[in-house]
Amino acid sequence: MIELIKKVIDNLNGYGFSVLVLVLGVLEFSFGLYKKRWTKNERWVDIACFTIPKLIVKPVIAYYGLKVLPSILPGFKNAFDWVPFFWGFIIIAVADDLTQYWYHRLHHEVPWLWRFHRTHHSASYMGMAMASRQNVIYTLFFSQTYLTTALVYLGLGIPAIVVKGIKGTITTLAHSSIPWDKPFYQYKVLHPLAWVLERTISTPATHHAHHAATTDDGVGYYKGNFGNMFFLWDVIFGTAHISRQYPKAYGISHYEGDQWYAQLLWPIFKSKVPGSELAADGQMVREDVPLQEHQLYRAEKQESVEQEISEETYNLQPVKA
Amino acid sequence: MKLEEAKKTRIIKNAFLSLLLYALPLVLMFATFYFTGQRPWEKKKQVQKTAQPASKTKSENP
Repeated sequence: MIELIKKVIDNLNGYGFSVLVLVLGVLEFSFGLYKKRWTKNERWVDIACFTIPKLIVKPVIAYYGLKVLPSILPGFKNAFDWVPFFWGFIIIAVADDLTQYWYHRLHHEVPWLWRFHRTHHSASYMGMAMASRQNVIYTLFFSQTYLTTALVYLGLGIPAIVVKGIKGTITTLAHSSIPWDKPFYQYKVLHPLAWVLERTISTPATHHAHHAATTDDGVGYYKGNFGNMFFLWDVIFGTAHISRQYPKAYGISHYEGDQWYAQLLWPIFKSKVPGSELAADGQMVREDVPLQEHQLYRAEKQESVEQEISEETYNLQPVKA
Repeated sequence: MKLEEAKKTRIIKNAFLSLLLYALPLVLMFATFYFTGQRPWEKKKQVQKTAQPASKTKSENP
């Protein structure tokens, strides 16, 4: 049985994952979930971030795994390949995802790191492409990649492949504009399952809240929900916000479409948008500005009409025939 | 713009807790080995030992 699961995930990690991304992408476009927000500039940002970092980062990781590690730890190649698959899976899942949680959280909480992660938050929509919309330097220093590569060198290669397949699926689905978790909140019979699910892994509701343009409004919460595969880290460290709702607006309230090259390669290239955090004279972290109507992804709910309260009391008399 | 003191304290506290979380799978794995008597690393040694004489015989009698 375990062999079968390994094969399924192995395929998912290969062509299966590409198929998942393609199907999701087609569905998102078919349902119009980008809501005409995918402008020429945003298309360039998404496509450049999806392709160019892979050309740079993958050779670096290969060099690290095949040249650097053998020279630093010459006697340790496959030294721990006796670790049973189950435990290898748990070790990799915790080591990889907890490290990514910290990498992500520090880019939000340490002001000078924010601009390396800003590209991931600048889009005013959500979608499967968002998972790889990152500044190239942010991707290059993904610390969990180097830790996991070291664990692969030590002999945990097969569990690493399985974790990568599961993690890729969860994060892509959490970024997707398809709210697959909605039925879990709608049907009462599924509520216990929803309670467990939303505390264990990232779901569209919790991760979309992290990508909201507003925070502390009951739904949006970009100050937390940092978990990538596991949401459990947010629950443990007190950075979780669960509302079972989706934000009214995504992105950054003061974003004005920085050029794709500045978003991909800041600080090598700077934005030409005056006042932008990525501009040459830009602030490290700008304060939020009030949202405008065109920034709303979901229309705001109409406030219920207040009941008229009359000050006078009327003593109505029956009408005489 | 500096990191707020309260945030800094929380990061440090949470980082220490993370060290425990990193160690937890290893602790649980070795605890399982201890209670069940499994010694998977010895299996690997045995495989290596049985493999070595075979290679020697091959080189002596090509």
